[in-house]
Amino acid sequence: MAIMTVGFATGTDTQEETGTAEKTDLDQPWVVVVWNDPVNLMSYVSFVFQSYFGYSEAKARTLMLEVHEQGRSAVVSGTREKVEQDTVALHSYGLWATFEKAGSE
Amino acid sequence: MAKPFKSTRRGITGALEPGEARLLGALLDDVISMLEPESAPSEDPLAALVGMSGADAEATAPEDSAVRRLLPDAVRGDDDEALAFRRLTERSLREQKIGALRSSALLLESSPMTLTGEQARLLAQALNDVRLVLADRLSIETEEDAERLHDIADSKDVDDVESYLALVYNFITWLQESLVQAMLKAAKLER
Repeated sequence: MAIMTVGFATGTDTQEETGTAEKTDLDQPWVVVVWNDPVNLMSYVSFVFQSYFGYSEAKARTLMLEVHEQGRSAVVSGTREKVEQDTVALHSYGLWATFEKAGSE
Repeated sequence: MAKPFKSTRRGITGALEPGEARLLGALLDDVISMLEPESAPSEDPLAALVGMSGADAEATAPEDSAVRRLLPDAVRGDDDEALAFRRLTERSLREQKIGALRSSALLLESSPMTLTGEQARLLAQALNDVRLVLADRLSIETEEDAERLHDIADSKDVDDVESYLALVYNFITWLQESLVQAMLKAAKLER
């Protein structure tokens, strides 16, 4: 899975410093989890996934439905530094997001 | 009644009635004052410069449940970790949100509004924050709670403070939905 950061200028430069930019998802053990809540609109959550992560309409919709139907969805993975940044960005949009080690559910 | 937002060649357009704009402006101001840090800025200029003010270093999870929803814990099931992260990030998150709310209050002063993509995004964020606060005050915790209030769509349905808040909540929900639909349409056209 390609990780693209669109819309926030501070998003992408820091990965190199951690030396993990070359690695694949399997080597990146942290994930951002978005939790379902009754307030955020489905259209808005899709919009945030498209505009912040640069996901396609289809992928954004799949993840949004996963949040809605399963109560949570791991929407992106990466280094700890990257998932921390993404979590705060999602908070700025009002989404209910946390970060955790991959597989710790 | 406000007109729904539309994606046009000039940008995203929308128009509120003067009374609606005043009400929304007042709500934006309310959320701004909820988010303004409670204590005075740090006296240490270096700490202030890097955004690690005294207030931040002592930050605790907000007591007001609505503020806690605006500034949620970033880590689940580990209060110490969540607090440590909050101390590093909460101030800039508060400032980011206040910035979006202030920009939106300015945008509402013109009618009709013609928004750039960036302005539309800030307004959508601000409307979302207002809805999160109203939802907390209305104790909307489940999807059933939200549905129960859904029918209050007209001032005829209002007979107490709660039903008035529900009417306002439903209006802002409608407004945000129309804005997001216009933004999604604009994004599609760009591709």
